[in-house]
Amino acid sequence: MRITRRTKAMAFFIVLGVCLVALAVALNVSWIIFHWRQVVPLVLGIILFGLLITGMVINTIFLVREIRRNEQQDSFLNAITHELKTPIASIRLYLETLTSRPLDEAQRREFYQIMLEDTDRLLGSVEQVLRASQVRQGSSRQNWQEVDFAAMVREALELARLRQHLSEQALCFGTPPANGITVLGNEEELRSAVLNLFDNAIKYSGEKKNIVVDILAPNIDTVSLRVIDLGMGIEAKELKRIFKRFYRAPNSVDGQVKGTGLGLFIVRSIARRHGGDAYAESKGQGMGSTFTMRLPRIYRA
Amino acid sequence: MSRILIVEDEAHLAQGLRFNLEAEGHSVQTTERGEDALARLVKNHESFDALVLDVMLPGKDGFTVARELREAKNFIPLLMLTARGRPEDVLKGFESGADDYLPKPFNLAILIARVEGLLRRKDWTHSVSAEPSQQDSDLPDHFRFGDKMVDFRNLQLRAGKEVIQLTVMETDLLRYLIKNAGHPVSRKAILQDVWNLHEETDTRAIDSFIVRLRKYIEPKPSKPRYLLTIRGLGYQFVPNPKQ
Repeated sequence: MRITRRTKAMAFFIVLGVCLVALAVALNVSWIIFHWRQVVPLVLGIILFGLLITGMVINTIFLVREIRRNEQQDSFLNAITHELKTPIASIRLYLETLTSRPLDEAQRREFYQIMLEDTDRLLGSVEQVLRASQVRQGSSRQNWQEVDFAAMVREALELARLRQHLSEQALCFGTPPANGITVLGNEEELRSAVLNLFDNAIKYSGEKKNIVVDILAPNIDTVSLRVIDLGMGIEAKELKRIFKRFYRAPNSVDGQVKGTGLGLFIVRSIARRHGGDAYAESKGQGMGSTFTMRLPRIYRA
Repeated sequence: MSRILIVEDEAHLAQGLRFNLEAEGHSVQTTERGEDALARLVKNHESFDALVLDVMLPGKDGFTVARELREAKNFIPLLMLTARGRPEDVLKGFESGADDYLPKPFNLAILIARVEGLLRRKDWTHSVSAEPSQQDSDLPDHFRFGDKMVDFRNLQLRAGKEVIQLTVMETDLLRYLIKNAGHPVSRKAILQDVWNLHEETDTRAIDSFIVRLRKYIEPKPSKPRYLLTIRGLGYQFVPNPKQ
C-alpha cells in the first residue's frame, strides 16, 4: 500500500512539473514569435523563461527526492522500532517468566544466557544508530593512530563468527593476510566498518553461508578489504543506492531481511573519512555480491 | 488442553512464549515463517485452537498471513503480536482479520489472559453451535411459519429472498418461544430457561428483544399476529394465526 501511495504522489508531481515546463516552453516560443524583430524583449524574454523553466525542473526533482527520502525515513523508523523493541520484549518476557514461575537451575541459567544475548543485540542497535549520527558530523583526526589492519580484520572476523554462531567455513579468509599492513586512522571506527561489512554479507547470504574475506594490497599506498558472498546478490541499479543512509534494497525474491539501513552507510562514511571508499559489485540477483573497502596505507620499506 | 501455533521468527521470543504457554497447560508448536503456518492450517488442515502471529516475518508478513487465512475460510482465533503499536497499525491488524492485537513489549500475564480469552470464546461458540443438535428431538433445524423460515443452525431468518442474520440470543429466544408455541411463557421463565439467569434481573430487558424479533417476523410490528403479548403473563408464539 505504501509503495502505491508513494508512486502515486511522485507520478502526480512529475506530471505537474512536466505540464508546467511544457506551458512555459509554449509561452517562450510564442514570445519569440511575437517579438522576433525586437531585440531587447526577445533576449530578456528568453533569459527569463529559461530561468523559469530551470527553476521548475529543479523544483520537481527536489520534490520527488524529498518524497523518496521521507519514505526511507519512515521505513527506517519501522526497522529501528523493531530492532529496539524485540530484544526488550524478549528480556521482559524472560524476566517475567523468572519471577512468576518455579524453574530449575538449568532453565534459569539458559534464560539468563538468552537475556544476555538480547542485551548484546540491543547494544549493537543503539551503537549502530549513534555511530551513524557520529560519522555524519565531519571528521576529527585527533585520535588517529597507526592500526595493524590485518590483525584488526582477523579479530573482527573471529568476533563476527562468535556472535552469529558460524562455522569456520561460513566465514573465512581466502588467503591468510600478510602482516605489516598499517593504516592510519581511528581503530574503533575501522573495526566497526569491517564488522558492518561482515554483518551485511552474513545477513544477505541466506541459508548457505560461504563468505570469503581477502586483504589485498594492489600497490604500495593502498589496501583493500574484499568480502565475497554467494548470497542473494544486488541488481545493477541498486549498487550505488545501497550505501545511502536508510536505504534498503527491496528484496522481491526472499522477502524482508531485517536491518536498519545504516550498516553500509556507516561503512562508506568511515572509509571516506579515512581517505578511502567502499563499493559493491554483483552480477545480479541470486548471483552473490562482492564488497570492497579501500583505504590508504602507510608504506614502510 | 488446547493446541496453539506460534508464528514468530525471533527465536528467543518464540522459545519464551512456548515455554509459558506450555506451562499454562497447552500444547504449543512454533514456526518461523508465515508461509509454513498457512500450509499447515489451510493446506494440511492441521487443527489448532489458537494462533499467535507476529507481523514482521521474513517472506509473507503477518497482515498477509491473516488475510489469506480468512480468505481461505479459516476462522482460527488469532492474536497478532507486533512491535508496531501505532493506531493505524492496530487498525490494519484488525482489518486483515486478527481477533486481538498486542504490541511488543507485552506483559506476560496479559498475553496469557488474552490467549485464554480467545480459547474461551472458541469454546463458547462451540457449545452454542452444538446446541441445536442436542435439541434435535424437540425441534428440527428449520421451522416454517407464514412465509418465514427460521434456520436455527445458521442463526438466520429467511423471508422470501431476504435473509436476516440473527444473534445467538435472538435465536435462543425464538427457539424457546417456538418450542412453547400456543402456550404463554412468562418473562421470568424466559430469563431462567433461555439465559440461565436466576437473579432478580429486570425482566424488561426481554421486551427489547421481543420488539426486535417482531420487526423481523411481523408484517406489521405494531399489530403483532405471531408474537403476542399476554397481559399479566408474558408472551406467546402463535404459528398459524387466524386471518
